[in-house]
Amino acid sequence: MVPDHEAQIGPPGMELQPTNGDIKIKISPPEANQGKKMWLNDLSFKYNLVFWENSSNSQFGYFVQRVFVSVKRWSHFPVLEEESETSSVNDLLCATNLRVLGLNMEFHLHWDNQYEQPVSYNVQYLIGYLKRLNEDYSGKWVGVPGCGNVTGTRCNVSSAITTTGFYYLRVQARAGLNRSCLSTEVKVDPLRTNEIGPPGVKVDISDTLLHIQISPPGGPEGEVMRNNYVLSYRILYWRNSSSDEEEAKVKETKQTVATIPNLAPQTLYCVKAQAFSEAYNKSSVYSQEECIQTPGAKAFPLVILATFMAALFAVLLVALPLVFVLYQAYSKIKYVFFPSCQPPLNIEGFGGQLCTSPYLPTPEEPVENYSIIDSMITYEGNQMDCKDYKHSKQSSRDSGNYSNDDNTSGSKGSAETLGKETV
Amino acid sequence: MNAFGLIQIGLILLCTTIICNHQCNHLLLQQRKMIENSLQLLDKMGKNFPQRCLREKMSFRFPKQVLQPRQKETVRIAIEEIFQHIFYIFSKNLTLAAWDGTALDQFQNGLYQQIEQLEACVIKKHTHYCWSKEVSRLKLKKYFQKIDCFLKDKQHNLCSWEISRAEMRRCLQLIDKVTRKL
Repeated sequence: MVPDHEAQIGPPGMELQPTNGDIKIKISPPEANQGKKMWLNDLSFKYNLVFWENSSNSQFGYFVQRVFVSVKRWSHFPVLEEESETSSVNDLLCATNLRVLGLNMEFHLHWDNQYEQPVSYNVQYLIGYLKRLNEDYSGKWVGVPGCGNVTGTRCNVSSAITTTGFYYLRVQARAGLNRSCLSTEVKVDPLRTNEIGPPGVKVDISDTLLHIQISPPGGPEGEVMRNNYVLSYRILYWRNSSSDEEEAKVKETKQTVATIPNLAPQTLYCVKAQAFSEAYNKSSVYSQEECIQTPGAKAFPLVILATFMAALFAVLLVALPLVFVLYQAYSKIKYVFFPSCQPPLNIEGFGGQLCTSPYLPTPEEPVENYSIIDSMITYEGNQMDCKDYKHSKQSSRDSGNYSNDDNTSGSKGSAETLGKETV
Repeated sequence: MNAFGLIQIGLILLCTTIICNHQCNHLLLQQRKMIENSLQLLDKMGKNFPQRCLREKMSFRFPKQVLQPRQKETVRIAIEEIFQHIFYIFSKNLTLAAWDGTALDQFQNGLYQQIEQLEACVIKKHTHYCWSKEVSRLKLKKYFQKIDCFLKDKQHNLCSWEISRAEMRRCLQLIDKVTRKL
């Protein structure tokens, strides 16, 4: 014997409280105040509320899952408070036709106003699960921040609504000091009510590759929304040419970057994207179209030519000065180590002298005892050019050699030589 | 009943099954995310497990076989029942737990939404009946009864709540694993 299979569920308790023409019903679950329970979870009970008129045979039944039920008495049959269309038939003060619109998790409550005089509205919300508890939730309605004293017929309720669970919203209308009216409730399932906004699209091209950058809807604050929806993106791209009508191609991706290869050259391609959620079967509207032209095939040789010219120019820029420098170095070295031996015409045949570099030391020549008296060779200052200077050096050296043992006058580098020798 | 009538009934049943399966397939994707959120909220509502509560720790032994049956439908009903139990446990006597009220509200709200969605996903009467006779279902009931008794015995003090919270966390993680495999 399994007790759980054999046991029957006992009847619930019930209390009626008439209030202002309506009825408040409090249901007590079976085993309400017992310490040890067979049916542990009394929150999971559903109750069948049956109404009938004594005089007639008509019955009205409602299935409810909560223990506090408000019933409004209409002309023929009772109606549960939240299922009634209006709070009161004749009260124009009440806000009607409550509806919630959401875009990227920004929710706005809209309602209609039928009252001619000025009305002030106060929006309230109730966290959904409180209706499921065995407690009176009527005192648990909370005012939505920022919607406390509204004169229009809409209010931003985003501060109250998160992505988890349901919410109920209602509007309390106030006129003057005495009159107020509570509207009927509207149930909000945030992720289902919300509409996903379009993403942003940027395109870039390189060769035959099209790069697409998607900026997700909702911006940085939309991270929670995107997480809950598990957003993917659908990209549409097509050739925008007047000649051929081509069908748009589709690419789906979970990433925010995509690459499309193998594009035709010299063609205008257009792209647009939408965000969608497979889990909630929701998709956004398409983004703006972005178009871009692929580079043409003819441009390719031009590119090669341009690259070649640039390279050539660069090479020349480096090579020419290098060649010049090398040439200069060569001529200097040639002059120093391998000078040319052509004497000038006017002293041709003067003497077969050894052709040596003026900068290198020469072998000593046999010194002859000549003396020069009062030989003074002066050189005029800076008017010489370098060639003259070199020739004059030669002669000064010669003069130095003709002096006696004393070689002090024979300084190769001196500009002036004064030789006064006596032998 | 003529053949045409039978065909009509057959078609209706087929369509209903297809539609309901489609709904329930999407539901699975949604549920996965919701369970992730529930786990995050469960962490968020309190601080780290207090060291001093370690000595009061009890082993409750969650019946894992409840989440390993042959049919998808049965797993779905099992998960719905587990959510109902967790929802019930966290519904009252929370004063001494001193948890973050907003996180707790959101956690309960999320659970409630999941329960409603699972209920709305049409489940064949036959499966309900089969499930009600399952032995593992009774083990599940015993498991949650143990936790309820433990809380009552400790007068819902902080340690008993923290131990229960850790236990529920383990439970939800198991469900998370199972839903990812489904």
